[in-house]
Amino acid sequence: MDFLTAEAAFYYMAAASVTSAILAVTRKNPVHSMLWVLALFFHVAGIFLLLDAEFLAAVQVIVYAGAILIFYLFVLMLLDLPDEEARPRFGKHWPFAAAVGLSFAALAWLAQVEKLDPDATAVAPSAARETEGEPLGSVADVGKALFGPFALPFELASLVLLAAIVGAVVLAGKRTKS
Amino acid sequence: MIVPMNEVLALSAVLFAIGVFGFLARRNIILMLVSVEVMLNAVNLALAGFSQHLDDPRGQVLALFVIAVAAAEAGVGLGLVIALNRNKPGAGVADLTSLKW
Repeated sequence: MDFLTAEAAFYYMAAASVTSAILAVTRKNPVHSMLWVLALFFHVAGIFLLLDAEFLAAVQVIVYAGAILIFYLFVLMLLDLPDEEARPRFGKHWPFAAAVGLSFAALAWLAQVEKLDPDATAVAPSAARETEGEPLGSVADVGKALFGPFALPFELASLVLLAAIVGAVVLAGKRTKS
Repeated sequence: MIVPMNEVLALSAVLFAIGVFGFLARRNIILMLVSVEVMLNAVNLALAGFSQHLDDPRGQVLALFVIAVAAAEAGVGLGLVIALNRNKPGAGVADLTSLKW
């Protein structure tokens, strides 16, 4: 793929993800919101591919779209909210929320408007890269980082997930009258 | 393939702002949690962009940890929603006015 095609693909993904995010937070039917979030996740996975983050794109599709979103949909259908569409979707304070969102976007825009130095790569050689001679693919790089310097945080992440599983069971489990 | 870093950061900021708006404005707890997921996705986008810009895999590793935390957050958050729903049907935040039941 040459540069122009990549550029066009990026702008398509960006426009589509912003559109689906806006639709996701404004739709009245919660299931429609979930489906727009699904579209958002897939387009973000496409941007990850353009950013040479293939493993992240695969994890985004498998974990986010495949597991987390299905979990949300399950709970949504389990709760059975028949009068959800009849009620106002936003609270009365929604202009305040819009102002906060817009000011955040303006702030982030101001922060990034200064052009980043394209030679920054030479300034910050990564610790993971220094140890190896051959240039590797992105997935191999991520794997080496994950099981090398990040091995302890990686194991701690499994502990966090275990705590979350136990916590979810404790919170949502049937309560016996004591 | 080099995607311009400034565009990635701008997109990330816009997505995060949409997530902030959704979290503050929606009245349904589940959709507020989904807005949090949108915000986390925006952060992952910025991390992946920096990872490519600085040619450093650590950004992607951090994004993976963010995804793991997002999964934990979804589990605990939805467990809370189910526990609340058992006591009082519905998923509106405005209905949750009692501290004790």
